[in-house]
Amino acid sequence: MSHYPGAGPTVYDPMTLPSDDNVNAYTFCVELKGSQWFLQKGKMIAYYGSMEFNGVGHGGLDRLVRTSFHSPLHASDWVVAQGSGKMLLADRAFDVNSYDLEDGNLTIRSGNLLAFQPSLALKQSIVPGFLTLIGTGKFVAASNGPVVFMEPPIRVDPQALVGWADCPSPCHHYDHGYMTGVMGGLRALTGLGGASGEEHQFEFVGAGTVLLQSTETLMAEHATGAVPPDAGVPGSGAPHTGPSQVAGAPRLPGQLGDLQRRFGL
Amino acid sequence: MFRLQGSKVLAVDMTGDAVKAKNGSMVAYDGQMAFKKMSGGGEGLRGMVTRRLTGEQMTLMEVKGHGTCWFADRASEINLVSLQGDKLYVESSNLLATDGGLRTGTSFTGMRGASQGNGLFTTTVEGHGQAAIMSDGPAVVLRVSAQYPLTVDPGAYVAHQGNLRQSFQSGVTFRTLMGEGGGEAFQIRFEGDGLVYVQPSERNTIAGDV
Repeated sequence: MSHYPGAGPTVYDPMTLPSDDNVNAYTFCVELKGSQWFLQKGKMIAYYGSMEFNGVGHGGLDRLVRTSFHSPLHASDWVVAQGSGKMLLADRAFDVNSYDLEDGNLTIRSGNLLAFQPSLALKQSIVPGFLTLIGTGKFVAASNGPVVFMEPPIRVDPQALVGWADCPSPCHHYDHGYMTGVMGGLRALTGLGGASGEEHQFEFVGAGTVLLQSTETLMAEHATGAVPPDAGVPGSGAPHTGPSQVAGAPRLPGQLGDLQRRFGL
Repeated sequence: MFRLQGSKVLAVDMTGDAVKAKNGSMVAYDGQMAFKKMSGGGEGLRGMVTRRLTGEQMTLMEVKGHGTCWFADRASEINLVSLQGDKLYVESSNLLATDGGLRTGTSFTGMRGASQGNGLFTTTVEGHGQAAIMSDGPAVVLRVSAQYPLTVDPGAYVAHQGNLRQSFQSGVTFRTLMGEGGGEAFQIRFEGDGLVYVQPSERNTIAGDV
């Protein structure tokens, strides 16, 4: 057995690698003992032992997919690892962390979710671009910078939001003070004279936990798949069946009403 | 003497000896230093021709003097490797600096190189001394021994050292062509005795997409 002193701080082998824990802030080690894990395609960086990686469409996985996977349309981004050994996961040198859910639910931005145990069920969230995990088990998520946990009630910056657990009320919040009156209207429209860039937030109330990353640089989104084009399904692009909005100029985000109404015309 | 200052800056203390470093990677020095470009990585005419032919180009400089010199490159994480007569295989783009006494050369990597998307050839560093390699995120050092062979994603592979055999594994099946592949269609398997450096990030390779 040869030794390599000074070759980095630690040399790992299958005995010293942690089991289902972080190796460092950017690498996570999963131990498989004949068990299975769902992971996003291409996030495995190395493994010891014997493992097989199969697309979710693989015939032998039908039963597993039926119970733990409910996003048929983005199935091609996910694979199932099975076998025995230890596997390292990482994602573009972003921070990775594992989270335990105990009979809970957590909704997460699709690009941040890296891997999860099949004891959890993955579903598309009603909020477009988000996925929801339900059940008991462990999952691994990446974030741009370490994750901070917050208690609602809280308002968060849209770019910093990674996900939320147990709180059912994510909604938009606009600071209206900056856009009342004629000058405010002009400011909101043009951005001139004092838009801070923080007038729009996501608001959470109720009991639960909100997960934030420590930058406002978003991670690349993964398609979560289209939703059925039924009326009333957010993001489906289906026509509204209710009374339609008054035709006019396209609304700016955060705009309260049309200018005419604002100026009392 | 190589040491890390933080994880992204390499400090080298020199007393009249020389180090080879990637051209332009010096960020600061104190004392007396001379920087000399080494044409062809200091491998002579033959090495120069080989590098030109293999596309494994590397522009090195020789730094010589008394004092401390600091090196860094695009805020990459730096990992120290110490060599005792064994050979380090690393991509030229990941090599930051080596002791002046270490020999560098090129070697054929075959399908592994092709699957990584950075050519069929790689750089070797040989001798007794230290080298500094760069990775995207801190590299994880994994030991390979007779009872524990290791399989690595080509996109995350950075370097390896010791007496290792590598074989290229392809899991391309008809499912891959249908877009239902396992995402890990190309893998390199290391057997023998040595160390493998992997980074927590994958370069863009053909393998990542299938």
